Amino acid sequence: MNNTLSPIFAIARMTFSEVLRNKVMYSVLLFLMIILLTATSLASVTMGRTEMMVLDIGLGSISMLSSLMAIVLTIQSIQQEKEGRMLYVLLTRISSRWQYILGKFIGLATIIGGLTTLMCLLLMLLVYLVGTPFWPSVIQACIATVLETWLIIAIAMIFAQASSLFLAILLSLSIDVAGRFTFTIQQFGQQSDSPSLHWITEVIYYLLPNLEAVNLRNSAGYIETYNQETMMNVFLYSFGEIGFLLIICMLVFERRDLH
Amino acid sequence: MSPILEVRDLSLTVPTGHVLQKQKRILDRISFDIPRGASTAYLGPNGAGKTSTFRILCGLCKANQGNILYNGKSIQHGLPAKSIGFMPEQPYFYKNLTPSELLSGLAQISGIRKKDLPLIINNWAEKLLFSDILHQPLHACSKGQVQRVGLAQAMLHEPEFILLDEPLSGLDPLGRELVRNVLFEAKNNGATLLFSSHILPDAEAICEQVIILNKGHTSYQGSMSKLLDFEQKWVISLQGEPIRRKHTQLKPLTDNCYQLIIENQKERDEIIQLILSSTETKLLAVEKQRHTLEDAFINILNHGSAQ
Repeated sequence: MNNTLSPIFAIARMTFSEVLRNKVMYSVLLFLMIILLTATSLASVTMGRTEMMVLDIGLGSISMLSSLMAIVLTIQSIQQEKEGRMLYVLLTRISSRWQYILGKFIGLATIIGGLTTLMCLLLMLLVYLVGTPFWPSVIQACIATVLETWLIIAIAMIFAQASSLFLAILLSLSIDVAGRFTFTIQQFGQQSDSPSLHWITEVIYYLLPNLEAVNLRNSAGYIETYNQETMMNVFLYSFGEIGFLLIICMLVFERRDLH
Repeated sequence: MSPILEVRDLSLTVPTGHVLQKQKRILDRISFDIPRGASTAYLGPNGAGKTSTFRILCGLCKANQGNILYNGKSIQHGLPAKSIGFMPEQPYFYKNLTPSELLSGLAQISGIRKKDLPLIINNWAEKLLFSDILHQPLHACSKGQVQRVGLAQAMLHEPEFILLDEPLSGLDPLGRELVRNVLFEAKNNGATLLFSSHILPDAEAICEQVIILNKGHTSYQGSMSKLLDFEQKWVISLQGEPIRRKHTQLKPLTDNCYQLIIENQKERDEIIQLILSSTETKLLAVEKQRHTLEDAFINILNHGSAQ
């Protein structure tokens, strides 16, 4: 492996191993199991298709828990490296700081994306035991949820560079929440009579990451499959936005003085 | 031989406070040279700017002004990654990784081939006595053990220039001796060492060069022997009737014993003659008073010179 890629993968591997042994991961998994089992027992005594209720609650919970996990683990990992001076050891070994950002992202995306996939597989197993939804759209929704998690990791990586852990988590959560309402914010501006409000909401719409653009959970299981164009849009938007956010992160980090 | 590192007029100002930020000057036009192959102690009281200098040299933060020349070439973003080994002060590393995993990851970043890793890591673990914790998570290791792992990571890729920020803090006497031996070995193998420490006897034992920093200024730069080689004093231990002289300091001991501290060689000889000819006073010992780096350090900080 060449000299540029080798440090990136070494950082990714160390990040993966470090986060893998973090107790937060297993707490999240346990919490999801409790939610899914509660949802299953509740759904069995209510009217309607049990498997669809479990699927809806399960996908929503996975999205919420994955986002929370992505924010907490990303910020905790980067801040701990800074406080424990591990970051200094890494930065003096690599030729450029962007290698650190990319390595960190790959490591976090692999482990958190892996856990999101595991949660989706658990959900699918549970749904399989209680009924039969349209599987292709469920799988597509699960893939989109993993992409959404990666996007949130990229957002959290930018704010992880803030001086305090609390501030970093608060800012990332705010963007996560706002990112799910960008379309609503834009519509609110369009319906307003004020041109300045219209302009502000347009800027917000284009500035914030649009997490609804990668949300395929609403019709998962109800329709046979999402069409190719939708999937292509989800992939293009996710990777484009992740790339954009990582470039911002690299530019910010490159200029940052670590006093 | 030209110095490996030349630092000229390095200044650093950092913002302090949250809302109404003020600028605090950490380093004020410091200059020094690090001779190739030498070990240099970088000393100073807390807040003198030692760690900040290391951070600038490692490219972690940028100086406001000044030049750094490494091997004669000007550098802007820290010393070249491949040539340096850096150990920060009180490192904590990844607490869930084992020393083996941590060292192999860091060695790979430094470009060491995967097949060479086990041999190199085991070698360092044996040398720094942490073989028994090699596969145990770092959170279960003691502070001294983590410190030794930290030293190993700074040296395992055999860098030509090693920067160590407080490498001896938190170590027991055995650990300190171990680290001293490793540093001696690295020096004998041709590495250049620059390290900060508050444990001055160790710095005195290891280094032949000293830089003393005080309030962001270089207070002393030069050889250790020159720093300690100022006018010597003699201590004469005697028993019986004390001898009093104008320029002689008398220090009572136990059992009718005294110590005379003499600054003048001629006076020393006269007093010895006097004691030998006296029947009431017995000469116990004549010793040259040893000046330590600690004495010189305190004198420099208090009076601006080693004397």
